[in-house]
Amino acid sequence: MGIRFRNVSHEYSSYTKKTYKAIQDINLSIEGTNEFIALVGHTGSGKSTLAKHMNALMFPTDGSVEIFGSEVTKKRNKKIKYNDLRRQVGLVFQFPEYQLFEETVEKDIMFGPLNFKVDSEKAKTLAREALSLVGLDDSYLNRNPFNLSGGEKKRVSIAGILAIDPKVLVLDEPTSGLDPYGRQVLMNLFSDIHKKTNKSIIIITHDMDLVYRYFKRVIVLKDGELTFDGTPDKLFQSDIIEQNHLDLPNTVKALKQLNEKLNLNLDVYQKTPEAAAKEVRRVMKHE
Amino acid sequence: MNMIDVQNVSFAYSEEKLTLNDVSFSIKKGEWIAILGHNGSGKSTLAKTLVGLLEPQSGEIHINSTRLTEETAFDLRKKVGIVFQNPDNQFVGVTVRDDIAFGMENLCVPREEMLSRIDFYAKKVGVEEYLDKQPSNLSGGQKQRVAIAGILAMRSDILIFDEATSMLDPYTRNDLIHYIKTLNKEGFTVIMITHDVNEAILADKIMIMKHGEIVAFDQTETILKDKSVFLENHLELPVALEIANLVEDEEIRRILWEYVSET
Repeated sequence: MGIRFRNVSHEYSSYTKKTYKAIQDINLSIEGTNEFIALVGHTGSGKSTLAKHMNALMFPTDGSVEIFGSEVTKKRNKKIKYNDLRRQVGLVFQFPEYQLFEETVEKDIMFGPLNFKVDSEKAKTLAREALSLVGLDDSYLNRNPFNLSGGEKKRVSIAGILAIDPKVLVLDEPTSGLDPYGRQVLMNLFSDIHKKTNKSIIIITHDMDLVYRYFKRVIVLKDGELTFDGTPDKLFQSDIIEQNHLDLPNTVKALKQLNEKLNLNLDVYQKTPEAAAKEVRRVMKHE
Repeated sequence: MNMIDVQNVSFAYSEEKLTLNDVSFSIKKGEWIAILGHNGSGKSTLAKTLVGLLEPQSGEIHINSTRLTEETAFDLRKKVGIVFQNPDNQFVGVTVRDDIAFGMENLCVPREEMLSRIDFYAKKVGVEEYLDKQPSNLSGGQKQRVAIAGILAMRSDILIFDEATSMLDPYTRNDLIHYIKTLNKEGFTVIMITHDVNEAILADKIMIMKHGEIVAFDQTETILKDKSVFLENHLELPVALEIANLVEDEEIRRILWEYVSET
């Protein structure tokens, strides 16, 4: 069980009557547990559209998406409770902080569980747990979400999705707009949640340093088509990077520069600055 | 000549906490300033006071030697263009073309000129194919580029980017940053609020904010040499400099430094 894309395309139409395919003929299989996937690609490559198909927020115009056993196609099926699918696969949008609307942080986080018919005491408990998962303490519960900073709002809104306890979590650029410290905290948080709960987590990102350091699997989209599906190691050592106009991780770029300028033979595939420095020291010792 | 003069500006959203605490600085015409700082440090609030969207409780702001007040704000806004972090907050047009035109319409740019600027700036940011699309049908990064085109087309003397490139992929972002660099060389004053140190180091000067105060404001090279100011403020050094700081070899360090300042 999990999410299976079978020849999925989605065509947008606008009032100007011109149509275009945001995603094209996607075949993809995501397990219901234990995945930690980065979804990358140029702006406009179809990443967000693909993500919205993962919980039936969008319906394919062609092909089918199987979500935990339910077959989602262009035609609505009365037997499928689409709302249930959205509880199983939680989707966090770009700038989720703009969806905050309640008077207090607590009420805002409780909104999701209450909507899925959880009773109010239980929803309160879930809100507390979710808040601590995103690294904020109980003192935030009674604060007005609109008076929080951008980073805090983002965490509160992510807590709102965590509180419904989805099996799969899909996040669309969750770290954009965060400072490096906040970004690291959040990435460690996702990584922790993944390790603790075995939940499958799919994250859309442009940050190749994060992709290299944290993820087990990378999916690359280009012009709506899936052009790579494999490990970060394999991706960064192939020429797919250039073909897809993607960037290399900064560690790799810096070490390549050293190889070029000093004619060294450094193994450039290092994930952290510490590992990179170690590799430099190793090679310099033998020079 | 100072393009922007900020004297003892304080601003608070609520009584409990000052979001800007007695901030003073000035920016010369044609300078490129990067503002770094933790989330909640007051960067965006500062940007909003510079365009008169928020009125400070105390202190004075002068743009091009005119004091920013309720009366002068309308005219001064023609001098200052701002792109917000979330482009959805600034879309008004039905199509991308209308949207890019909106700012120019307010400046009463003649129609012919307006049409040619739309084409020119749409090409510059790479959205020329989407001119007839609805902004709401675009991806996050495409929207950001449309918002940027709209501001560039106004040709304001001062350009403020509030994390306006956060959703762009690295290639698009590089292209755009290089174009902003060209504009800056032509004399535009640029203020870039960012979390990306690689973006910040392109600036002439870096300002670091914390709890509503300016904790450092100096030439980029000077700021980068003082590691402690980055660490204390939870900021990241560029990866190549982090590596440089961890190795002893002088030549390696020199090359990594050069690499960082070139890119």
